[in-house]
Amino acid sequence: MSQKLKKTFIVTRFDPDKDEVPKTQTYEIEVEPDWKILDALNHIKDTVDPTLSHRWSCRMAVCGSCGMTVNGEPKLTCKDPMSDYGDTIEVAPLANFPVVRDLVVELEGFMERFQEVKPWIMVAKERAVEEGTTQQSPDELADFKQFSMCINCMLCYAACPVVSNEPDFIGPAALALGHRYNQDSRDEGAHVRNEIFRGEGGVFSCSFANECSEVCPKSVNPSGAIQQAKLGNVIDWATSFVVKRGGDVS
Amino acid sequence: MKPGGPMPTRTADPRPPDKYPGRGRYPSYLAFGASGAFLMISALLLIRGVWALGDGGAAWDAYRGALGHPISLVYHGVAFIGLTWFALRLFRLFPATQPYRMGPIKRPADAVLVAGLYGVFFTVLAVGTLFLGGALL
Amino acid sequence: MKTLMLKLEPVIWMLFSSGMMIGALLLPVFILVVALGGGFGVVGGEALGFDRMVALATHPIGTLIVLAAMALPLWGGAHHLRHLWIDLGGLKTDGLVGFLCYGTALAGSIVAILAVVRLHS
Repeated sequence: MSQKLKKTFIVTRFDPDKDEVPKTQTYEIEVEPDWKILDALNHIKDTVDPTLSHRWSCRMAVCGSCGMTVNGEPKLTCKDPMSDYGDTIEVAPLANFPVVRDLVVELEGFMERFQEVKPWIMVAKERAVEEGTTQQSPDELADFKQFSMCINCMLCYAACPVVSNEPDFIGPAALALGHRYNQDSRDEGAHVRNEIFRGEGGVFSCSFANECSEVCPKSVNPSGAIQQAKLGNVIDWATSFVVKRGGDVS
Repeated sequence: MKPGGPMPTRTADPRPPDKYPGRGRYPSYLAFGASGAFLMISALLLIRGVWALGDGGAAWDAYRGALGHPISLVYHGVAFIGLTWFALRLFRLFPATQPYRMGPIKRPADAVLVAGLYGVFFTVLAVGTLFLGGALL
Repeated sequence: MKTLMLKLEPVIWMLFSSGMMIGALLLPVFILVVALGGGFGVVGGEALGFDRMVALATHPIGTLIVLAAMALPLWGGAHHLRHLWIDLGGLKTDGLVGFLCYGTALAGSIVAILAVVRLHS
């Protein structure tokens, strides 16, 4: 067995039935050196304080549930090694989100943003079964694959200064997801999505702080997607005066 | 990131990112935005110069004389450093904004693109300086 | 004002992004040679003399470069400053600040074009 280490966790607590505003609580615990931050939180909940609330599920950076603020940075706590930190570690809920309880944030606003960008393949006419499968080349896949790796962990929203300051901003993950469909060779809905992208809180609200791409645990690069979507929108907007936008897609 | 409708339970208000605006990578981002002032002021001073050129030799000489004023020298010293930093940050972040391919051309590795853009910046600066300064042609 | 700015965003963004590039590449040259070199007296009087400057600025390529270096960075700077204002919590006055920023850029661009036209006439 490896040597256990003593750590001090300063955890943000909030009980909506009792507390006006969030406060902090300190836990002194012993941890294994190879633990992740999430292991320590589970240890606190299991053995020290069962009232602590936090979200988690897969423990392997796939489900995107365990995003929290660790020492001021948005982190996926299941991926964040304890060895990166000193003796004192501060854990708080994700910034830019309303807090439901302790480390648990309200997701509803985030979910609404996702629906806004119509994240599905839109076509004018459904392909008949007899026509066979849709072909896509490796290059066509590479055009959007990076932007499809998002696990909806919301770290990008917690890091973005525009999300803080513009309540209507659709935000990095949702805009990157919309761009992912615009880049998909099977999709015909780019004109529809671009109208949304050019609207209130769309791609032009982004001021390229690049924080979303810095904190993204899956290297999705949402800021890159948004800058590409801006150029795409300039072209789409300019050509809309020349080429008539035809047909309904859904 | 509040929902449009009412929330089912009472919640604590969102707080801004913990390191915003003074710590982490944010100061560099905000300074980049503030460099917009250098872009605007320097462009306006350049317009002033070209306008003076249109007014004739005496006006141009007066404009050149004004550039020797300590305030002008301090501003332009700071603006030169600021705009150089601005350019290098812009070119360092630029590759990440480029798509996987443009037509048949695939995006080169980020390091290659950054090196190329830095090369363009310093080449334009060197050649432009020599040319405008009268050392070339 | 906000609705108008939103409508014109594609144009503004295009001017902004080209303004950043042009400003980053050309303004340092102008500052180094004319403002600092000339100001400190390092660059000779003849190189920055009236006749040579007019010749450079009225050459077809020179005209394009001078025009781009004057007008486009104004849009780059204006857009940056507007967004900086929002980043510092100024969303409520975005309409006014946007009007001031882009208004300055537009007015400056018109003067820049006039300045070049005057040189040629």
